[in-house]
Amino acid sequence: MSPLLETKDLTVTFGGLNANDHVDIEVEKGSFVGLIGPNGAGKTTFIDAITGFVPTSAGHTRFDGHEIDELKPHQRAQLGLARTFQSLELFEDLSVEDNLMVAAQPTNWYTLLSDVFRLGKTDPEVEKRLDWALEVAGLVGLEKELPTDLPHGQRKLVGLARALAAQPNLLLLDEPAAGLDTAESNALGGHLRNLLEHDITVFLIDHDMGLVLSVCDYIYVMDFGKIIASGTPEEIRTNREVISAYLGEEAGEVQARSAEELRGISHKEGPE
Amino acid sequence: MDLLFGFFAGLGPGAVFAILGAGLVIAYRGSGVINFAHGSVAAYAAYTWNELRSVPSGSVGYEGGSIFLPWFDPIPEWGFLKALHINNLPVEIHIMAGPPAWLAMLVTLLMSAFIGLLMHLLVFRPLRNSPLLAKVVGSVGVMIYLQAIASVNFGAKNRSDYGFWEFSSTAEPITNFLGMDKNLPRSTPYLAISALIIGTIVWLIYRYTRFGLSTRAADENEKGATLLGYSPQFLAGLNWVISSVLAGLAGVLFVHKAQPSQLSLYIVAALAAALVGNLTSIPGAVFGGLGLGALASMGVSATRYSWWPDWLPPEGIRAFAPVLVVIVVLYLRGDKLPIRGTVGLGKQPLAPSTKHPFVGIGIGAFAVLLMSNIFTSKWESTLTTTLIAIMFMLSLVVLLGFLGQISLVQWSLAGVASFVLIRLSSNGLKVRSTDFFVVNGPDWPDPLAALGGVAAAVILGLLIGIPALKIRGLQLAVITLVSIVAVEDLVMRNKPIMGVASVTTNPTPEPEWFGQYIGALDESTYRNDYWKYTLFALITVCLASLLVVNLRRGLTGRRFLAIRSNERAAAAAGVNVARTKMLGFGVSSFLAGLAGMLIAYKLPMITSENFSPLAGLAMIAFAYIGGITTVSGAVLGGILVGGGLISEFSALHFEGITRSYINVVGAVGLVVTAIFTSGEGTALSVAKSAKAMVVGMRGSSEEPNIVEELNEPIEETV
Repeated sequence: MSPLLETKDLTVTFGGLNANDHVDIEVEKGSFVGLIGPNGAGKTTFIDAITGFVPTSAGHTRFDGHEIDELKPHQRAQLGLARTFQSLELFEDLSVEDNLMVAAQPTNWYTLLSDVFRLGKTDPEVEKRLDWALEVAGLVGLEKELPTDLPHGQRKLVGLARALAAQPNLLLLDEPAAGLDTAESNALGGHLRNLLEHDITVFLIDHDMGLVLSVCDYIYVMDFGKIIASGTPEEIRTNREVISAYLGEEAGEVQARSAEELRGISHKEGPE
Repeated sequence: MDLLFGFFAGLGPGAVFAILGAGLVIAYRGSGVINFAHGSVAAYAAYTWNELRSVPSGSVGYEGGSIFLPWFDPIPEWGFLKALHINNLPVEIHIMAGPPAWLAMLVTLLMSAFIGLLMHLLVFRPLRNSPLLAKVVGSVGVMIYLQAIASVNFGAKNRSDYGFWEFSSTAEPITNFLGMDKNLPRSTPYLAISALIIGTIVWLIYRYTRFGLSTRAADENEKGATLLGYSPQFLAGLNWVISSVLAGLAGVLFVHKAQPSQLSLYIVAALAAALVGNLTSIPGAVFGGLGLGALASMGVSATRYSWWPDWLPPEGIRAFAPVLVVIVVLYLRGDKLPIRGTVGLGKQPLAPSTKHPFVGIGIGAFAVLLMSNIFTSKWESTLTTTLIAIMFMLSLVVLLGFLGQISLVQWSLAGVASFVLIRLSSNGLKVRSTDFFVVNGPDWPDPLAALGGVAAAVILGLLIGIPALKIRGLQLAVITLVSIVAVEDLVMRNKPIMGVASVTTNPTPEPEWFGQYIGALDESTYRNDYWKYTLFALITVCLASLLVVNLRRGLTGRRFLAIRSNERAAAAAGVNVARTKMLGFGVSSFLAGLAGMLIAYKLPMITSENFSPLAGLAMIAFAYIGGITTVSGAVLGGILVGGGLISEFSALHFEGITRSYINVVGAVGLVVTAIFTSGEGTALSVAKSAKAMVVGMRGSSEEPNIVEELNEPIEETV
């Protein structure tokens, strides 16, 4: 059986610089795959390329049996490829519930008419999906709130819930832990792990070693746009190339942990 | 040869475009605002110059030589106030009778500088962190304000014209120019050379002085410039002054050609010139302006050839040249145009959905029926004007409010619906014995003709919407602003298309739907006295309101708001952004078309003046004051609009606030709304305040902070 998501030689060029350089990645159905790398390694560009937000200059992407290179972002989303954004990008003047609703319910040519004449009833399927997404993200009771009235950690979860509301086949998470403190980050890890029980495959991007090592089954490491290593968490933890490129020579898990804690503190003091 | 002469003749107006364009560039770089009021500043300067230098014809004993400050004395001349000799704001200041040209020039430019400073301090500085729509609306407000105040202060007096030196219209033309056997106005070469000299000086200042350098620094990176010790707001203020002085210069140089009021619409060509310079290059704007003038003039010359198609009249060409330039430049550059890195884009106004629309609509309909029964024919007409305005503003709620697309052209689409409806239902015969003109047409029966008119509006609306797929925000506002002029000259005033004997007056046929006469005019008295029309308008407005409410409540409305909020995220959530945007343009144009239909059924005749750019912008202004995101806002806007209930009522009861002041009041209200309600408008803000007060009185601790948040001053808009 072919993998759910497969990229072959995926290359993204920004004015002579290869932000992604012949990237080959496979994500099997039902797995939890991570992509780590230092800041500026090209991780977000990779998600943008898969979801159609930046044009690729070479290579192919297959998703769920479709060649999706020519598809527009919304068409890829309709195939079940959902993503979150590093910088939230919520619909700030829609309530939490409406944010999810935009993603949860597909429309067609007669939607306008059924809206205007109020013929359309809310699909019970959609209701169920909505409730499920709210529950998974732990947002039950906050449906009517505006995202801007929520603390940062919960806003991140609204982004996650919105991606989930479409009940995607593959969920691409772009640095979900950025801006969260350690406790929130750990809680998020728990939420994420639960996703697998709901038949959703997850592809997680982060530079937070601790989070990625703790939740993923398989990990790719990217540096300067290239995949420099891949393997199980144990293999990555001990891979010399990864350690030198990413963690520094004397690295170990201890350092990763303390770095993570430091980051949590500095983010709390930050403008967020 | 004609074309070559056309080229040279076009350099005259081209020079004015060039100087105006350079001013737009300077204001944009200084503060990130495209100043739609730029042409109006030039017009005010031209009026000031004229007032100083010339004597209105027919007013014996009047010497001129006065200036009028850009405001009016708001205290009405009621008996007791007058008796108390309360002199409030000085307005007219007498300088001297017949001042020399240099003095008049100096005073005029000082006036322009003063206006520039006021614009900065009172409008654009307070709006610096507001959402884009608020900034656009703010500059539209200034435009309406200056135009209205100019008509209050200077009136429609025709002036004998005194330009100066070679710029005077009395100067002998250059005969047999370059052996082409044609006379060129003597001012033309002087204008072109002036534009080049002024452009060079300004360019040198911005290129080589410390001030120019720091402006460019602040333009590139506002925060960085602040950290280096430059005050971006001081720089912005200075740039506003320079920009306005350039506008004043353009105004003074121009007045030998036509009445100052025409200058306001030079903004369209000036925008095109500035866009050639990518909104940042002064030489680009100068050469763009000169080139545009030449291009338009050559196009007009070309219409004299026999091969030129009839349906493209010369006026259309003159208006269309800048439109073509703007659309080509913007569309080709796509996303690459500079979006200035404004600090904090601000929040979009909320667009809450209504849970019980029938209550509100029912109360409104009852009120209208009640008024219709009490009112005399004059008031019935006021009432239907309000209904029409509400109908139109619903189209703005959908497009500007829900979808967030700043389109300024919708009023022209209402006009197109009117004109097409008339054309389709006409049969070349006189409708009334009083008609001067007849319209030829296929004599369609009425609901069908109305459908045709609305369909024409929708098709044109979709066409104008196409650029919106690639062009966003400010640039879309620019495109739609220039489209107003294009639609007016190319469609509404186009004789071959509209088939009218005169380009100005279209007698409207008498509408009959399914055997019922529903026009507003009583056939025998020619008064607006027909209850069936009021009922028809009321039903149309109620149904349209319901449509808009249901749209907002449904999936479509959510998707509109999602796109308004974040196009990237909407696409990631599976929303087809392009199709949804076109849907919004279509629905909005449909509603605008219905408003056009109501207008055609109300008036005995239609002229393109009914759909003038200023009228359309005033509609947007009042819709914004009422609240651009809600149906109740549209209703409030319709009540407030000029000719609507409030303005007529105040005209009757407060002699001080006559109709001519309504646009001044509206413009001030617009700016105040833009600054204080973050675009939510009066209706929504009042509703929220009321809710907050109820919460406060109950002593509920649910939302303790909401009262504070909402305590902003809102009520001074009316």
